[in-house]
Order: sequence, then structure tokens, then C-alpha cells
Amino acid sequence: MRLSKSAIRNNSMRASFAAATALTALVVFGTGGAAAESVLTMHIEEQSSWVQNFNPFDLAGRRQSTMDFIYEPLVIFNAEDGGKPVFRLATDYKFSEDMKSVTYTLRPGVKWSDGQPLTSADVKYTIDLMLKNAALDTVGVGETVASVEAPSPTEVRIDLKAVNSDFPETLADLAVVPEHIWKDVSDPVAFKNEKPVGSGPMTELRRFTPHVYEQCRNPNYWDAASLHVDCLRLPQISGNDQMLAILPEGNMDWIGSFIPQIDKTFVALDPDHNGYWQPPAETVAFQMNFKSGNEGNLEAYKDLNFRHAFSLAMDRASMVDIAGFGYPVVNEHATGLPPRFETWRNKGAEGDKDAFMGFDTEKANKILDDAGYKKGADGFRTTPSGKPLAFPIIVPNGWTDWIDAVQIAVEGLRAAGINASVATPEYEQWRKQIIDGSFEVVMNSRADGATPFRGYYQSLSTAYGGRITGAPSRYSNPKLDALFDQYLKATSEYDHKKIFNDIQLLIADDFPVVPVFNGPTWYQFSSKRFTGWVTDKDPVMNPEDHDNNRMRLMHLLRLKPVQ
Amino acid sequence: MRISSRRLGVYAVALAFAIVMNFILPRLMPGSPVDAMIAQLGPRATPAAVEAIKARFGAVDQPMLWQFVDYVKGLATLDLGVSVKYYPQTVVQVLGRSTLWTAFLVSTAIIFSLCVGVVLGAISAWRRGGRFDTIVSPLSVIMISVPPVIVALTTLFVFAVSLRWFPVGYAYDPNLDPAFNFTFAGSVFMHAILPVLTLSPFLIGEFQTTMRSSMISVLGEDYVTMARAKGLSHLTVMFGYGARNAMLPVLTNLALMLGAVFGGSIVTEIVFNYPGLGLTLYTASIARDYPVIQGQLLLMTLATLGANFLVDIIYGLVDPRLREAV
Repeated sequence: MRLSKSAIRNNSMRASFAAATALTALVVFGTGGAAAESVLTMHIEEQSSWVQNFNPFDLAGRRQSTMDFIYEPLVIFNAEDGGKPVFRLATDYKFSEDMKSVTYTLRPGVKWSDGQPLTSADVKYTIDLMLKNAALDTVGVGETVASVEAPSPTEVRIDLKAVNSDFPETLADLAVVPEHIWKDVSDPVAFKNEKPVGSGPMTELRRFTPHVYEQCRNPNYWDAASLHVDCLRLPQISGNDQMLAILPEGNMDWIGSFIPQIDKTFVALDPDHNGYWQPPAETVAFQMNFKSGNEGNLEAYKDLNFRHAFSLAMDRASMVDIAGFGYPVVNEHATGLPPRFETWRNKGAEGDKDAFMGFDTEKANKILDDAGYKKGADGFRTTPSGKPLAFPIIVPNGWTDWIDAVQIAVEGLRAAGINASVATPEYEQWRKQIIDGSFEVVMNSRADGATPFRGYYQSLSTAYGGRITGAPSRYSNPKLDALFDQYLKATSEYDHKKIFNDIQLLIADDFPVVPVFNGPTWYQFSSKRFTGWVTDKDPVMNPEDHDNNRMRLMHLLRLKPVQ
Repeated sequence: MRISSRRLGVYAVALAFAIVMNFILPRLMPGSPVDAMIAQLGPRATPAAVEAIKARFGAVDQPMLWQFVDYVKGLATLDLGVSVKYYPQTVVQVLGRSTLWTAFLVSTAIIFSLCVGVVLGAISAWRRGGRFDTIVSPLSVIMISVPPVIVALTTLFVFAVSLRWFPVGYAYDPNLDPAFNFTFAGSVFMHAILPVLTLSPFLIGEFQTTMRSSMISVLGEDYVTMARAKGLSHLTVMFGYGARNAMLPVLTNLALMLGAVFGGSIVTEIVFNYPGLGLTLYTASIARDYPVIQGQLLLMTLATLGANFLVDIIYGLVDPRLREAV
């Protein structure tokens, strides 16, 4: 449905959300006069009913269009561009000499959607709110931040608990909220924020029903000149199957869905306009529990020979083609570096170090034979010290593509005489097991970030071991921890790259986890109503519209309605 | 009219049992709502944040006995708690909006199927052994035995996805706002057709079968023979004398079938993304949303018990011999 009403820009007119709704008034910038409204229909989350909740601190309950579109980040880091910063509410940030504090300079003249100025006091207020109330701490400032000061209206100084050059990247997930609204909220955890006042491009809720909602232009958006979409329209969609059923209607513009046989079921519906690009995302790897209570298994996990043999038993190509519908890509590097971080790759950590990344059952058997893993009467091996070796690999129930991949892994392991099996607990149970350490082996995606550092740090440092789902292996290596520490203290890009080269070398040699493939990004689009989509020919940013990708804001600003 | 105290006792025990089961069942499922909430935090779940969330939904970490006391207290005050999945909406709010749609869907399906099934049953009993009967009666048996999920997927695929005659989801066109006008009513009607047709085959089959056997015995009664002897028209005898008196077992059957109808509506609502109780129960189960699951199971239990209670009253009204007995 397109409306072709227009209205003159008039601040007093958007005195309230109710008035805006009643008038369905559009605020047309720039050219003035009558212009067709451009409404972008998006699919970013699946729910059986929309609940009007735009509380940015409620990660579980908030609508997934809250970040970026209602609350703009200070700065975004573009993984597809070497992790370079894209400054938004801030124009710069600087570390102090001792790296113990970082000062952000805010963009002058930025206003909230209700017309009030956005100042450093708002940023200070937001971080203090999270420090005071741990349930609101969506970015983990409680662990990293000692205190916040606002020396001037455009300056925020954040004092850190420890040296941490990675801190700005973490803070990209911060939603700065307006102090003049939130100071009156009695219970910020339960606050639904039904009529949000924000800083992003799409703050005005014109329509909200359990079936669909529309988020329209912020009348005071600082970067209005770059914004060509008037409204986001979000129809409620309950799951992948329903998505398949509604695709033929041709009403969706920006989609982030798993679509099986995508060329047949989506592109063929409208070959001139429908497209997709599903670049490889974070690395999926087999992670063994280095604190396992099972003596035999633990002995094997800690043996580099065993980990090499494990890797040689992995039929990665089948995992990608058969289990993953061909959407993921095989990860060929012992470092497990995701393809998107090509510029960070240390060639010295590859070549012969990748010798164990192929599929070679014969070689796997030989390595195990030579290392003293003897086969018993049942055809399964025991450890060199004669202890039994048997473990289940856990994967969440219902994740069919992953279950199939683990099944393929188990076949390979059994062919090498390793008694592995598949177990499919419910997701919550699966998560609990990897957090409390009551598992043996898990196939899991590792942590990810705008630079490869965060993924490695959070998956393999002693600091994170066992604390988050991305780090179940409980791997602990003082040499690696020292490198991580150096990285956090380093300031220049040159130093970061140099240290990360060493990290890659160490990982390739010690091979703590077994990388197998990189899962796809979920991104499909229609160019029928909008142009400017990011494609493989112009791979400048992560194209996903989900809440895990801050760059979706920059993507929105690229889009232009078809004339 | 009176219902024996023993009978009332049975209802009380059934209700108490339902309340206890309702408390226990969700807790037997692996995973807790707190785990689910923390899972959403992902790598950002600092130990402090985890503690804060646990404290907020602390009831789950309490000893079972205290949880049960809280639960019963809540029931007594009609406070069914707050939904985890749709936080901070309350369970009453969540169930309120879905109950309306399920009630609409189920009652429409029942009324439609009742009309069709009763007429088919009456005609096949009237022409027992005839061509109509030999086609319709076996067909009813087939319709009863086909699982609703198959009917739902088939109708969705054929009439919505392929032919595009009907919408593939929602209870009404999302572009409309609920209002008392023809556009909105028409939209609700169009969106209800396929879900109703999905629920109907089973019901029609059941009603046809029950009606047919009940009608056959009624047709053997003296007053029917008398009516025919008077020279009344076939239609008058069939519906005025036969069907009217054969209806009672059909109505009884209806009350007992309510559970099955709700079961069918769960599948139907999931397939057609229809915003009723079924879809809510499904998403609540996946999210380990205990408060919603409990509220909903309780609602369904009460509906079934209520329907049976109603049947008891009807029985008593119709047949005086049953009033004191049982």
C-alpha cells in the first residue's frame, strides 16, 4: 500500500505520536512539494505477535528494529573494511596516553527526535544507568568501565578498569538514551518504551498492531540528507515456512531469512529484481572440553595428535553441500580465520600448517596408530595410557543443518576408530551444558566482531573460558593470553596486525579447536522498489538486517526508492 | 435442577489435579525461562547481568514448594503472572488477545460442521444403504482419520500458495485496523475460510457418523411410523420428527470433542499463522514461557471441564432418570 499524501515540514505538528498517527502526516525533506512516500518492507525477526516494546536494554523483548534505527550508535566498525570506524553520534574518540581512558567527541548539533539536544550528559547518563543496574548492562560496561565524566557538552571521558584498546568496538552496541525522558522512568527494566524518543533515522511509530508496525522518519535526524526511505514497514512473520509462503506476493524488500533452494524459491519469482548475497560469517568449529571430567577423553583432547586426527576425519565439503544446502563455505585454515578478515591473514600461519585441514581418514588412522591409540575388539580406540575414549557431540535439537553436519563428523570419526556419537539436547539445555562444562565435544560458532581479534579473544582467552557460549573449550594458554594482553595495550593498527600475526601462528601450531566451515549471512532483497543494495559485486559491508549487525544503519542510508 | 454432590466432588478433584499437573508439567521440560533470557544476551551476558536477571525472575530458583504457593496465590487473585516471551505483557493480556481469535475460529468451524454433518447424517440414515449413504458414510470415516496437519498443509499449499485465492496468514489484512465495518469484517471472513475448512473435515465426519446412527434408531420409533402413516411429507418426517429427536447424542458428542477441536486448532493456527491460543501455546513452549503455558493449559482445562459440566446439566434436564443417579 502506498500513500501519496504529503505535508509540509512542521515541528509543531509532531507534538505527539497520536497526532502524527491520526494525520498520517509525512515529513518530506529537501525537494518539498508532493512526493510519493517510500515505504521499505523488512523482515528482521520472527515472532507470533508484535509486542510494542522498544526498550533498548531489553535484549530479549525489544523489537529488533530498536537499535540503529531508533538509537544510533556512537561509532560503528565495518568488518568488511578492515574494521575501520564509521563515526555516527561521535566524530572521534581518543585513548589517553596510558590507555586507561577513552574520550569521545560528540557530533555537534545532534537532536533527539523530540527536538531536545543530544549531549554528553545523555551518554554519561546512559552508561551510569547501566553501571547502577546490571540487568540493563547490554554491553558489559560493568566489567570494563570504572567511571564516566562529561567535561563538556560534546565530550565524554570513559575511565576503564584495565587497558583495553578493543573497548570502542564493544561500545558500538550501546544505545544512548535521552536523560530527559529516562530519568522519569521508575523501572527501566520493565519499561516498554512504547513511544520512543531516539536519535536514529526511524523513530516515529506511525502504526502498531500485533500484525504489523511502521517506523517512520525522525523529523530531527541529523543525517537527514542521506536518508531516502520514509518508513520501515515490519509485517509479523512467525517462521521460515511462513516466509516461503508469502514470498510470491512480492511485498518484501529487505529479508534476512533461511530460504532453502533460494534460486528456485525466491530468485525465480522475479529474476529481474530478486537477489541475495550470503557471504560467509563467523567460523563454526568443533570445540573439546579441556576441563572434561572424563579422564580418557581429556587425555585425548589435550593431545595435539588427537586434535589433528580429529580434523582429518572431518568431511567439510559434505558438511557444506549436504548439511548446509551449499550455503556455508569450507574453512581451510588451521587458524580458523573467517574469510571476511582476509586483510588480517598471516600467510606464514598457513601452507604446511594447514596440512591437517583436509579430509583424509587414512592419514587420521595413521596418526592415531603412531601416537599409541590402540583399537580394541569393537574397532574403537583407547588412549595411549589405555583408558576408554568415547564422547557425544552435542548440537541443539531442531537445528537440522547443524545436526546433519555433526552426523557427518561422527561418521568420519568412527571411520578413524574414534567412538563419537550425536546428542541433541534442547537449545537451552545445550547452552547450559556448554556454560557449566558438563559436555564433551560441541560444534559451535565462535564469537565474532568487526575485527578478528574479538572472536579469538572471547573464544580462546583464559579470561572468557567457559563463561560465554562462544568459549566452551576452556582453553588456557599463558603465551596466548600474553599476546591478547599485548594486543589490548597496543594502539596502532600496525602493532595490532603484528600481534595478531603472532596469534595466528600460535593458534595454527597449537590447534586448540577444529574449524570446519563458515556459516552464511542471511540476506535477500528485491530491487523492485529500492536500489542501492549491497551485493557480492560491491561487498562494502555486512548486508544483514538483523540486530547483530550495526552496519545495517549504513545500509539503510544507501537505499533509494526507484523513481 | 440438582447435580449430585458426588458428581461435584469429581469435578473438584479433576480441577485440583489439573492445577497441580499444570504446575508440574512445564517444570519437567529442560531449560528454564531464565536460561532462555540469558541465552539471548549471548556473549554480552556478564556475570552481574546474569545475576540481575535471575534476581528479577527469582521465583524459578526458589524451592518448588514456595513456587507452588505463589502459583496458587496467583490463581486465586486471577494474577497469572508476567509473560517471559512477551515481557512485560501479563499472561492475562497475552491470552486475552488470542482467546478471541481461537473462540471465533473454533465456534465458526463447529457451527459450519454441525450444519453440514447433521444434514449429511440425516440424509444417509433416511436413505440407509442407498447410493448417497454408501458414498458419504465411508467418506466420513476417512475425514475423521486424516490428521489436521495434513489437511492444513494441503489447503495452504493448494488454495493459498499455488492458486492464491486466499491469504497465507494472519487473522485479517495487516493494513487494516480493527473496526466495525464491511471491509474489516470481509477481511476477517476471507482469512478465516481456510483455517475453518481445515478444522471442519474431522468435525463433519464425527457429526455425520453420530447423527446417522442416532437417526437410525429414532427412525424405528413408533411416532415416526405414525407420522409417516399420517401422510406427512418426507422432509417433515425426516427433519421435524427424526432429526430433531436424533440431535441430542450429537450435542453430547460435541462437548466431548471440544478437546480434539482445540488440538486441531493448534496445528491450524501454526500453519496459517493465525494469532490464536494454539500459536501462542506453541511459541510459549519453545520460549519456555512457563507463566503463559500454565495460564493456557488452565484455560483449556477449565473449558473442557466446563463443557462436561454443561453436558451433565443437559443430560439431567432431558432425562429425569439421571438426576439422582450416577
